[in-house]
Amino acid sequence: MAGTTTWDRMRDPSEKTLGFLLLAPAFLLLALIVVYPIGKLIWNSFYDLRLSGGGGVKFVGFENYVLVFRDPDFWNAAKNTVLITLITVPGALVVGLGLALLANLPFKHKWPVRLALLLPWALPLAFAGLIFAWFFHTEYGVVNDVVRRVAAPSEPAMWLLRPNWAFAAICLTIIWKTSSFMALILLAGLQMIPKSLYEAAEVDGASKVQQFWQITIPMLMPSIIVALIFRTITALQTFDIPYTMTKGGPGNSTETLAMLIHKTTIDYLDVGYGSTLAVCMFVLSMFVTAFYLKRIGRNA
Amino acid sequence: MTSIWDSKSLRLIAAGIVVINGFFPAVWILLTSLKTESELVSKPITYWPHNPTLANYVQAFTDQPLLKYLGNSVAVALSATVFSLLVSALAAYAIARLNLKRRQLILTCIVASSMFPLVTLLVPIFETMRTVGLLNSYTALVLPYIVLNLPVCTLVLVSFFQSIPKDLENAAMIDGCTRMGALVKVVIPLAAPGVFTAGILAFVNSWDEFLLALSLNSNPNFRTLPVGITLYQGEFTFPWPIISAALIVAIVPIAVLIAIFQERVVGGLTQGGLKG
Repeated sequence: MAGTTTWDRMRDPSEKTLGFLLLAPAFLLLALIVVYPIGKLIWNSFYDLRLSGGGGVKFVGFENYVLVFRDPDFWNAAKNTVLITLITVPGALVVGLGLALLANLPFKHKWPVRLALLLPWALPLAFAGLIFAWFFHTEYGVVNDVVRRVAAPSEPAMWLLRPNWAFAAICLTIIWKTSSFMALILLAGLQMIPKSLYEAAEVDGASKVQQFWQITIPMLMPSIIVALIFRTITALQTFDIPYTMTKGGPGNSTETLAMLIHKTTIDYLDVGYGSTLAVCMFVLSMFVTAFYLKRIGRNA
Repeated sequence: MTSIWDSKSLRLIAAGIVVINGFFPAVWILLTSLKTESELVSKPITYWPHNPTLANYVQAFTDQPLLKYLGNSVAVALSATVFSLLVSALAAYAIARLNLKRRQLILTCIVASSMFPLVTLLVPIFETMRTVGLLNSYTALVLPYIVLNLPVCTLVLVSFFQSIPKDLENAAMIDGCTRMGALVKVVIPLAAPGVFTAGILAFVNSWDEFLLALSLNSNPNFRTLPVGITLYQGEFTFPWPIISAALIVAIVPIAVLIAIFQERVVGGLTQGGLKG
């Protein structure tokens, strides 16, 4: 086109310029909220940096890292985080798959079932923690009331007051809260499996159990893997539910890495050490994610 | 051979299990919120409130500035949603429609940003917000929430933009529209359902966020609902009926929202999930 003016070019920019302009806000924000903080985090981890009491900034090299490796609180929190992940991710998968299979039945009205899967997803994690803390209340909680009616134990379980019981209560709460999202993803996967596969299996005389293991599970694998990756990444960051249920207690028996980092940074204002803890957690989650992606690469 | 699930009553049981699993916490909290303090600490515990009372709801609003928290949550979640949509719509259009090299890499970059644990970003974000004096402000939460919503919004919008026939846009351009004109007059109206779906997901995400809200906005004037309600509990006391009433107040808006738009929400969630 001859004689294009600057105005024309502004109204009709080239693909490249337009692409740059359209992507700029997103990448600017990513730089500001993700890339810069990660750089700052690594930088901080080499300094003695406390925001309380007017403390200065002192370069300490790898001292913070040495402290982390000798810190029993870190290993305790790391153990709890990994345990929560190992328990609640498969737990939520099994419960979620069960819910998805039930929800996939041919109901006349679909909305009550769909809403029942959406509600736990939309409920803030912090609220789930509060509600289940009330469920697990030793004296007036509904859980112990049901247990009393069914099993009549000599004394009620002190759910949130005993380390192992508190840990179990937190895992149960996380499984309840997260299995719905699993179920929604798996339900979408179930609905994409062609009916003809089951009809063919019926003709061949395959039982329902055989159909489940030979058709449903293999066909569902892509959805299962996506759901597992999502869930693992969020499980490693577990904060809201233990924070609202036990604040990490009794002692620090239910404290996760995210809670330890939050406490160190926000409550104690020890930014240097908090950053070092965060770098360690970051490395841990990278390892887990890489492991997952590698496994998936092999399966695909 | 007929399936055992063909029987109507068994299907009803299946639906019952799913519905009870989804609703029982909310129902139990609703019942608790209607009980008097004395009924709550009577044993054995009651299931149905004997003397239903709304006093707990009054107290939920007077003990703590619940209305203020509600306003803060609405302000933060709404502005985060609007800005998330704006930023991700622009990016999604570029990825879906423009003839860019490495568009897959660009999308991967945006999605991978959601894999970074938020709590590791918390430390530097807290430090920076403190330095620039943004602690206890809406901006402190809205900025990170936009990034938080970016992956899922972009994924949903990319697939919506891709579903709009390119011919429509080309036709508009042949008729004398500029590229921007075609975007505004043709693509955006057609993508409206996608924008809406992404918007609901962004709103729920922002409404639910706890860690940043707890850490960055501790001042009561800027607390959001999840943070504010957690603080109803004293050092040794848990005023359960009042907490329950506050929870119901906080849950109802979001429950109504997803009840009305459930099909869109499910579509958006699984789309964002399966493509991620």
